[in-house]
Amino acid sequence: MAAAIAPAPSRLAALTRLRCSIFQTSYNPTSVRTGAKYLRARLRGPSMLKYYPTELSVAKFNAFAQGEWTMIDADEIQREKDVEDKKKRGKGAPKKAKRKEDSRRLKRKK
Amino acid sequence: MPAGFNARILRDKKARAGVNAHELVRRAYLYVARNQTLPPQVRYQAQLQLNTFGKYTRPTTVKNRCVETGRGRGIIGEFGLCRYQFRLKALNNELPGVKKASW
Repeated sequence: MAAAIAPAPSRLAALTRLRCSIFQTSYNPTSVRTGAKYLRARLRGPSMLKYYPTELSVAKFNAFAQGEWTMIDADEIQREKDVEDKKKRGKGAPKKAKRKEDSRRLKRKK
Repeated sequence: MPAGFNARILRDKKARAGVNAHELVRRAYLYVARNQTLPPQVRYQAQLQLNTFGKYTRPTTVKNRCVETGRGRGIIGEFGLCRYQFRLKALNNELPGVKKASW
């Protein structure tokens, strides 16, 4: 029976090459990694940015309006007031270190 | 708690912005570094360049967190909510088409 004889490997390779040329795929018989999958994959950044809904805040609105319009940001005023009160009671943020030796981080317990 | 003030959400937003900004260049370096047909020296240089990118430029640092509370576990992906917020909103009829099962 002629049909039972397996075709020669070279013939099979030729078939694969022809198939690749017809369907416009790359002929890669040894399965070498070409890195094509990094170029083929879609960019995921744009959809990642969409996950959290955009929030509108008074500060953002004021920045958008560029001085033509301003809304009073009650929370921000309260926060600034609280910071002032804390400073008066000596509870403000510590001074920034000028040199590395002044850093409070170094004095911290290990 | 409003979502914008949760530190973990802020960090995640930072990561998302970083991934978006550097994705194209990282992809190009990944292509060179993983391409076995290129000379090893070139691939090695590309890999060194990849290592110089910051922590928040890798897509694996991005995590879907609860939009409402910032919780990192038990997120129901379709709604972006953690299981408890999902329950609260569903019972409050704030999620269209979601209904408590009963049979």
